[in-house]
Amino acid sequence: MFQNRAEALALAMPAAVFATLVFLLPVAILLSEGFRTGGGWTLSAYTGFFSETLNRTVFLRSFRLGLEVTAVSAVIGYAAAFAIVNLPPKGKGRMIGLVTLPLMISPVARTYAWIVILGRTGIVNEVITGLGFSPEPLRLLFTETAVFIGLLQLFLPLMILSLISALENMPRDAIPAARVLGANWFQVFWKVVLPLTREGLVIGGTLVFTGSLTAYITPAILGGSKVLMLETLMYQQVSVANDFVSASVIAFILIVMSFAANILLKRLATARSRR
Amino acid sequence: MKRALMAAAALTALSPLGAAAAERTLTISVYAFAQDDFKALVYDPFEAQCGCKLVVETGNSVERLAKMEANKANPVVDLAAVSMADALAASRAGLIDKIDTAKLTNFSKLYDVAKDPNGDGMSVGYTFYATSIAYRSDKMKIESWADLLKPEYVSHVAFPNVTTNQGPPALHMLGLALGKDTPDLKGPIEALGEKKDDIVTFYEKSSQLVQLMQQEEIWAAPIGRFSWAGFTKLDVPVAWATPREGQTGGMNVLVLTKGSKNQDLALQFMDFWLSTDTQTKLAEKLIDSPANSEVKLSEAAANNLTYGEETAKSLKLIPSAIALDNRAGWLKTWNDKVGQ
Repeated sequence: MFQNRAEALALAMPAAVFATLVFLLPVAILLSEGFRTGGGWTLSAYTGFFSETLNRTVFLRSFRLGLEVTAVSAVIGYAAAFAIVNLPPKGKGRMIGLVTLPLMISPVARTYAWIVILGRTGIVNEVITGLGFSPEPLRLLFTETAVFIGLLQLFLPLMILSLISALENMPRDAIPAARVLGANWFQVFWKVVLPLTREGLVIGGTLVFTGSLTAYITPAILGGSKVLMLETLMYQQVSVANDFVSASVIAFILIVMSFAANILLKRLATARSRR
Repeated sequence: MKRALMAAAALTALSPLGAAAAERTLTISVYAFAQDDFKALVYDPFEAQCGCKLVVETGNSVERLAKMEANKANPVVDLAAVSMADALAASRAGLIDKIDTAKLTNFSKLYDVAKDPNGDGMSVGYTFYATSIAYRSDKMKIESWADLLKPEYVSHVAFPNVTTNQGPPALHMLGLALGKDTPDLKGPIEALGEKKDDIVTFYEKSSQLVQLMQQEEIWAAPIGRFSWAGFTKLDVPVAWATPREGQTGGMNVLVLTKGSKNQDLALQFMDFWLSTDTQTKLAEKLIDSPANSEVKLSEAAANNLTYGEETAKSLKLIPSAIALDNRAGWLKTWNDKVGQ
């Protein structure tokens, strides 16, 4: 397409310069704060951060919730995407529209909706008490379960859309061929569908994991102080303690976790396809 | 040639470019809250009066203070609205100037508590609010802040997170009620920590509370008076508590940026904001409780705001120096006892 490599580089230069000045440089300056305590370059801010029990608890909770939301959204996402790609064109369009619809609604509004649904007088508790599973409404709000549900609902559409795209690019004959050769449905999924849709899973998984890690409003409203997450802790450090070093440490941890998730998912997918 | 030059200069002065160059500009930094109303009631009338242009920046206190610090050498903002504690932080950081109150015609009309909240002459209060407990009067009775922790009530209580504006004042009053009143708020935070699993939530946004009370998720919560109007519209009986330890609250103040080239215009704007007319209009719209003692309000507005000399005098505000010196410690104790 281009005459030479220099021409391509020249075309990319304005965007690269813009991204460097407006995004990369400020982020680098912010992140460097965490390595420059006491006048020199040091890791003491990081060792100090992880030496506190609360910080370790919050880190592990954020990591675990991110993994859980990603894993469950992958399971639901495959089922939903598989069902949608097998619909006739008209139905497929409508279902994709339904999946996309929540993305057009503010996360704040979607989170507040969960307060109604999960409340003492909400539909979930009405079903639970109505069917006799519990004599009293359960406390579902302001728990880790509520945060999990809120995050799952927030990011599931991203996983479904990534997997729909991946499934549509898969050869149409692959599944019937595997079935004819005697594979059961689990084998079809594990040995055919998963390797052929790994790119979609990597993209969806990265988006969901990163989104779950960095979401602020949903954990703050549905969990609050009781379910402190890394991003709520970072907000506290900036807005209350005015401690930009700790905030920088948390930001760096979040970025590293996001990149690590992407690399890990890619490796897992690649390793699967080589077998 | 000379005539031609004079004509050119006259034309330039009359052109829009010339007019813009001559127009005075005042840049203010304020809370993002109710900006449409502020534009109609404060900004536009002031622009019409001063023949100047007002540039309005919004953001939270931290962002605004960080920006003032970054532009210290060449200030962009001329006047800012901040909390009492942030005003003291700005003062300690050398970001603001003393206010020449002799140039404020409305200064003498302010309640005493608003005249020099931090005692350093660097700020003037423009609004304050009471913090007390909104509660379901058919379900419970609140006579003391400590009633919130009673076993029969505690599982129906929402308490403000320490990171919110209402958190430290509410903890301060709880400490008074429990006889554990120290600046580090350790006593009330520990008491809350012991009941953290019972308490419904430690809320981040007061806007959540009306919905939670409507759903019977909670029966009581400490709130700022500015949130009260929403509760009065519920179809359940909600009362404003008058605990025996009293009410607490907070105050927002106006400050002048150090080195601003528009201090006279900023003082003119400050005076306009503090005037009886402007303060009355803002109060009748239920935006801000008046700091001007000459403001007379309708019953409806008075019932929904922090109003009157007696109320102003009765508020047990946390001194800014204590808030500032203990903020990080409060957060650490809170996270250790409540956030684990």
